[in-house]
Amino acid sequence: MKWFKLGMPVFLMIVGLAFLISAINLPKANLGNPNGPLYFPVGISILLIVLSVIYLIQELRKAREANDHIRELFTGRTPVLILSTIVLGVVYALIFETLGFLVSTILFLGALLFVVNGPRKWVSNIIVTLAFSFMTWYAFGELLGVSLP
Amino acid sequence: MDAFIEGLTTSLQPMNILWIVIGGFLGTVVGMLPGLGPATAVAVLIPVTFGMDPVSALILMAAIYYGAMYGGSRSSILLNTPGDGSAIAATFDGYPMARQGKAGEAMALSAVASFVGGIMAVFGFILLAQPLANFALRFGPAEYFLLMLLTLSAIVSLSMGKMVKGFISMSLGLLIGTIGIDTQSGVYRFTFGITELSEGLDFLIVIIGIYALGEVLFNFLTIDEDSKKERKKVGKIWFTKDQWKRSRMPMLRSGPLGFIIGVLPGAGGTIASMLSYSSEKQLSKKPEEFGKGAPEGLAAPESANNAASVGAMIPLLTMGIPGSGTTAVMLGALIMLGIRPGPLLFENQPETVWTLVNSMFIGNVALVIINIVLVGLLVKILDTPAKILYPLIVMLAFIGTYTLSYTAFDFFLLILFGYFGLVMKILDFPLAPLILAAIVGGDMEQNFRMALSASNGSLGIFFNSGVSIALLVLIILSLCYPLIVKAFQRRKADPIS
Repeated sequence: MKWFKLGMPVFLMIVGLAFLISAINLPKANLGNPNGPLYFPVGISILLIVLSVIYLIQELRKAREANDHIRELFTGRTPVLILSTIVLGVVYALIFETLGFLVSTILFLGALLFVVNGPRKWVSNIIVTLAFSFMTWYAFGELLGVSLP
Repeated sequence: MDAFIEGLTTSLQPMNILWIVIGGFLGTVVGMLPGLGPATAVAVLIPVTFGMDPVSALILMAAIYYGAMYGGSRSSILLNTPGDGSAIAATFDGYPMARQGKAGEAMALSAVASFVGGIMAVFGFILLAQPLANFALRFGPAEYFLLMLLTLSAIVSLSMGKMVKGFISMSLGLLIGTIGIDTQSGVYRFTFGITELSEGLDFLIVIIGIYALGEVLFNFLTIDEDSKKERKKVGKIWFTKDQWKRSRMPMLRSGPLGFIIGVLPGAGGTIASMLSYSSEKQLSKKPEEFGKGAPEGLAAPESANNAASVGAMIPLLTMGIPGSGTTAVMLGALIMLGIRPGPLLFENQPETVWTLVNSMFIGNVALVIINIVLVGLLVKILDTPAKILYPLIVMLAFIGTYTLSYTAFDFFLLILFGYFGLVMKILDFPLAPLILAAIVGGDMEQNFRMALSASNGSLGIFFNSGVSIALLVLIILSLCYPLIVKAFQRRKADPIS
């Protein structure tokens, strides 16, 4: 729990530093003020770093305070649900263009429903998956003219 | 006037009325889902407008937005779970009413109150929008930059007690806005070698990631608890004469109040509804009934929050500056449709503006009917297990993202921002500053640099006009506001002074 609360300010500092370093290394502009593209991002990333330091100090002071949401994050099915949604999303991204919209969507939505709604309700899962996949395929591909793979 | 009539005839076209009804219904349904609010509804339904002509698409988006505002209070009343901040006040007296078996009365009352607030605010819009647009025509880059800064600082300081987190959220949004080719110099910034990022990070992906995927992931935290919650029986869908008598004045008072708060930068539905609730409580002859199912305690905030949602359209359309997370999402949708809000919109495309205004009228009429006549159907949808609805929303988020630029690469960004949105919600970061900054950040930087190059690099340009100085004063006030409130509270708490 503590690492979760302290991880965020550290992560934000790294983001701020990454932006700051790459902003300083930006090529000079050929048009207008050569440093024009630089000021704004440099200013903001310094602001972010300063704020993250303040945030880290604040969090260190109350590191022992309980956060209900963090507790919920690690109880019951929640970690499984969140992790599988992310993993399934990555798989979906990888198969979407090769397998095409319909097949990949049926696989993605079906798997997601099995995880979230539970394998015991497999009948409704399959019905919802098929109905919804075909419906969106028809609505976007045919009615709205979106070209789907 | 001609443009007004033209707008009226456009929005009365049967096809556009149909879009209003469809949008209103869809918005109500998504807004009604426990834990999801108007921002999510608009974000997830943006792709529905693909391939439509911009005016119809605009009407549909607006209808979705208002529908979600109406729908938000359904789950507040029936389940005691508000979808977003502006629906919180509806739980104070709405849920107690439902517990007393008056859910149907509460829903009818909230729909009518929303209608009253909405219609009053549309009149306010007609009165105020054009003069404000004319005024904004005189704004130069320096004024625009300061106005955006004011909006951002106001939205952060109004997220009371979370100043540091709010400004972190804002800085992240501004940094997101700098990714991609710099339009003034052609320099590539922060693409980290990824070609897909060269045109910048589409803020619609950020929006869908945070408001659609992130919100669903956040709702997974409590998904197994919600199913145990019992929904209250609905009963008769109309209110009694006595309830009407008690709530009509509060409704009428809260409409203008909500509207004005909606127009102000950074404020919006949450503050409007809370303020109207507390002021009605003070005005009431029976303040002890507030919180125990007083009808006026439901009607007032409902009227105020709907009026605020119309009022918020004014800075959005006249200056292109959204005042809240939800209107920021609306701005994203408008830009995608090729509509560039700002004072010039009123000059170049007045018919678009007035079509929208007239569709607000019709939309409010349609929504009050939908929310009273179709209440049975809506409540049935609320009975559909969240465990089926959430995966469907995740699915829609992915499809919506794909339709933005037809590449599955964007899915990775979507997942990234969805996950990041979840972490931010868990750690209690306000999300609106990030979304707002990501959308206006690019413009803000360009205006800043244009102002500086016009003045040959002198910062004096930001003190050059009366408007700039007034804006600067407001920025400083908004930054000090939390400190003032704190000092005030301390004084109150200290009995000696």
